[in-house]
Parts: sequence; C-alpha cells; structure tokens
Amino acid sequence: GKWRNKERVLIFSSRGINFRTRHLMQDLRTLMPHSKADTKMDRKDQLFVINEVCEMKNCNKCIFFEAKKKQDLYMWLSNTPQGPSAKFLVQNIHTLAELKMTGNCLRGSRPLLSFDPTFDKEPHYALLKELFIQIFSTPQYHPKSQPFVDHVFTFTVTDERIWFRNYQIIEEDASLVEIGPRFVLNLIKIFQGSFGGPTLYENPHYQSPNMHRRLIRLSVAAKFREKQQVKEVQKIKKKGSKVLIEEDPTEVVFETPAEEKPVEIQLVKPESKPIVKDKKKLRKFQRKKQKKFFRTE
Amino acid sequence: DVTSGQVVDPASQGAADKDAVDPENDFQREMSFYRQAQAAVLEALPRLRKLQVPTRRPDDYFAEMAKSDQQMQKIRQKLKSKQEAMERSERAKQLRAMRKYGKKVQTEILQRRQKEKKNMLNAVKKYQKGLSDKLDFLDEEQTSSQGNKKGSASQWIKKGPNAKRRYKNQKFGFGGKKKGSKWNTKESFNDVSSFRSKVAHNKGPGKGGKKALNKRPGKRARQKMKSRAR
Repeated sequence: GKWRNKERVLIFSSRGINFRTRHLMQDLRTLMPHSKADTKMDRKDQLFVINEVCEMKNCNKCIFFEAKKKQDLYMWLSNTPQGPSAKFLVQNIHTLAELKMTGNCLRGSRPLLSFDPTFDKEPHYALLKELFIQIFSTPQYHPKSQPFVDHVFTFTVTDERIWFRNYQIIEEDASLVEIGPRFVLNLIKIFQGSFGGPTLYENPHYQSPNMHRRLIRLSVAAKFREKQQVKEVQKIKKKGSKVLIEEDPTEVVFETPAEEKPVEIQLVKPESKPIVKDKKKLRKFQRKKQKKFFRTE
Repeated sequence: DVTSGQVVDPASQGAADKDAVDPENDFQREMSFYRQAQAAVLEALPRLRKLQVPTRRPDDYFAEMAKSDQQMQKIRQKLKSKQEAMERSERAKQLRAMRKYGKKVQTEILQRRQKEKKNMLNAVKKYQKGLSDKLDFLDEEQTSSQGNKKGSASQWIKKGPNAKRRYKNQKFGFGGKKKGSKWNTKESFNDVSSFRSKVAHNKGPGKGGKKALNKRPGKRARQKMKSRAR
C-alpha cells in the first residue's frame, strides 16, 4: 500500500552519556525504523537549537537524551515544530543486549502498543499517551518496516512513574517473552512549546536526583548528629546534679577506734601448701570416702 | 492520523488488580505488566486478523532480526549453562542421598549377619552342652536361608561332634576359658550328686584288706580315755 504516515523521529543525545544510555539509544533506533540518528549535541547550545536540527533532518518528532553529572539521564519527547514536549528522568535502564532478555523480533516490525487504563483518566497522561502513540508506532507501509506484528510495547503507570517494557509475541495465545529494552520514566514537566514555552503541567511527585541524594546525605548526617546529642546529654547528666550533702556532726559519735595490733615480723618462711594438682580428683576422693562411710554405717 | 491497522491499543485490565500491585514487589510488578501485554494481544489479534494485517510470520520468511544471531547464541549458551549447573547440583544431591541410604542398608545387613551368626553359635553350644536336645534351630536356619542346598550338611551336623570328642568333653569338660568361670555357685553348692554316703560314713566295703585296725581314735576319744584313766 501507499506509505502515507510520514512520521519521522530524530533520536540523539548530548555529550557526556555513558555506555548504557548509548546502547539504549541504539536499541531504540533498531526497533523504530522510522527513526533518524544525529551527532551528539554540544552542551553549549541551547535547547531550541534542536528544533532547527530536526527541521534540517525533516523530522517531526524528537527523542533527546540529556546526561548530567555523568549520573542522571533526562529524556525529552517532543513534537518539533510547535507541539508539546515533555521532560522525563530515566531510571532502571536495561538494554537489548542483556542476556536475561531472551526474546527477539524482526527488525522494523510494527509493534502493538498497550497502555494502562490510568492513561485515560488524567489529562496529562492522555497527552503523554498521544505523544507515545505518535512516536513509538511504526507507520504502515514504511519502506523499512516489516509487515508482521510480532512484538508489543507496554506503558504502565505504577508508583507515579511510567514503566516501559517490550515483549515478543510467540504464540497466538499470547505467550510472551521479553525482548527489552526496559526503562522507567519519571515525568518532570510538560511544556507547551517544543523544548521550551510555558509549562502546561508539573509533576508534584517528582524529586530531582540532586534533591534525592541530598536527602539521603541529610538523613545520614541527622542520624549521626542525633547520636552525638544523646552522648552529650548523657555526659551532662553524669556531671551535673551531684547533690552536696552537709557534714553531719552527729555521725562521728559512735566511732571507737580499734585496738592496735602488735606488729609481727615473719622471719621464717611459712610452710607451703600441698600442691593439689587436681581439685576435682580430691573432691572425688572425698566423696567416695563419704559414700563408703555412709554404706558401712 | 491513526490509520486503520496502525497499531494502537489500550489494554484494559481489572482496576482492582492494578491497585493491589506493590511497586516494590518486583515479581508482582512484572507479572502485572505481562498480564497487561497479554490482554492487549488477545484483544488486538482478532481485530488485526479482521483487518487482514498479517500477524504470524511464515516459516520461509527470513529477514533481519533486531538482535543478531550471535546475540541469540550467547543467550542460548547462558540458558543452557544455567540449566546444566542446576542439573549437576541435583545429581550431586541425589548421589549423596543414595550413598547415605546405601551405607545404612549395608550396615544393617552386616549387623543382621552378625546376629545370625551369634544366634547359630549359641544354639550349637546349647546343644553341645546338652541343654536342648532338639536340633530345630538348624532346621529353621536351613529353611529360612538356604533350603535344600545344605541338606546333607545338616544331617552330618545332627550327629554332633565325634565320639572321641564327646568322651573327652565329658571327661574334661568343654573347651573355652576356665579361669574366669564361676564356682561354688548356688547350683553347684546344692548339687549333692557326687555324695557317696557309704564313703562318707565309712560304711562301704573296704578296698580289700585295709589297715583299719590301725585307726587311731579321734581327739575327743583320746581325751576321754585320758581323763578316765586318771
């Protein structure tokens, strides 16, 4: 048939990403035949430059990975000319190459997308759902796509985060094996414009990773400080509150000094005690003697 | 722009299940994802079939896969090695258990044999000592253990030891440790079978011309005589 749905997704990243992120990016590129790659963006340029890059590459969607501090990974999903964009914090990345992901699928086959019912309940989730649909679904009759449907993407909302999984469909009775990759998206903000513009929605449950680390450190410090304080309180208790009792004159009344003993100087060494090698044996003999005595009585 | 066949599918799952999922419980969480995917697939496949979108790949259709063959080989190797490790540990466990059991059985058998031997010897000794003149123990043994094989042997054993041996046993007693054996027991004390009254009271016939006339009177008699003489 005729390829009508001209969706194109630009997938690229900033500098300073680690191997896992790079592999994730490559995995997404293989799973989505309607994607395009680009070189790493320099940190110096501002984000709206990305829109120009997308226009040059003739893409209308974008997935941009941004790595900060070599630890945190942020992902931007955006509809480039003027559409909304969303920023996420990505966690728990597992790539295609992990040996526990045993499934496999055709390269470029079209996926089935499965969403949690929660996505229909809130407006921001509905917006995200639409964004996911447009980005992740392979257009029909795309030249690089395979016509079969043999894997399914699941998006689930659990614990205020969006969990992504990819399963291979083995049998018609829906027996599944995980292909990977898998990651968790923590929504930060939704903007009206692409990579900028007024904020449409801000996630109240979101805590920046810096804040998270800071809280951990504070809690550890607080525990330590508490221990110190307890120690100090104990010290004070020990020192203080020592009541001084006045001298009682009547106390000395009954005191009679003891008689002085004559000083004895020992000139001869005292006899040494018989060395008892085994106290138990001695006791044993004693007991036997007693028994005998008892018996003869 | 959701054209027909564009694969989009919201999966519905019982809301009750969703609420119960504890995100910390990894297994439960993954199972919930799995079930969601399954529900989606079960719903979508009939629809796709209706729209004539192919879902099953024919066996002769070879195309590039998302994971290379090399990768799949690695995965298969890993799975196999895991399975082998498990099997090995299972086998080792079983072997250990069997060895233990075997050892137990062996000791039991040895003990039984020892017991049987002991019983047999005791019975034989009893017979030899004359306490039981029945040779039933042999019969029992034979019927329980060997049957007809030792029939002739049993007949020979019935005669017991040699006649010469029997005479000597009677005269000198049976072999074995004599030192630690008891004497002056109740039985031996009460046994008056070797008492010859005629010998004790000096009443029996003399052994042919004994010098009986030279018998010296006893002490009492002599004293009486002495005192009477005075």
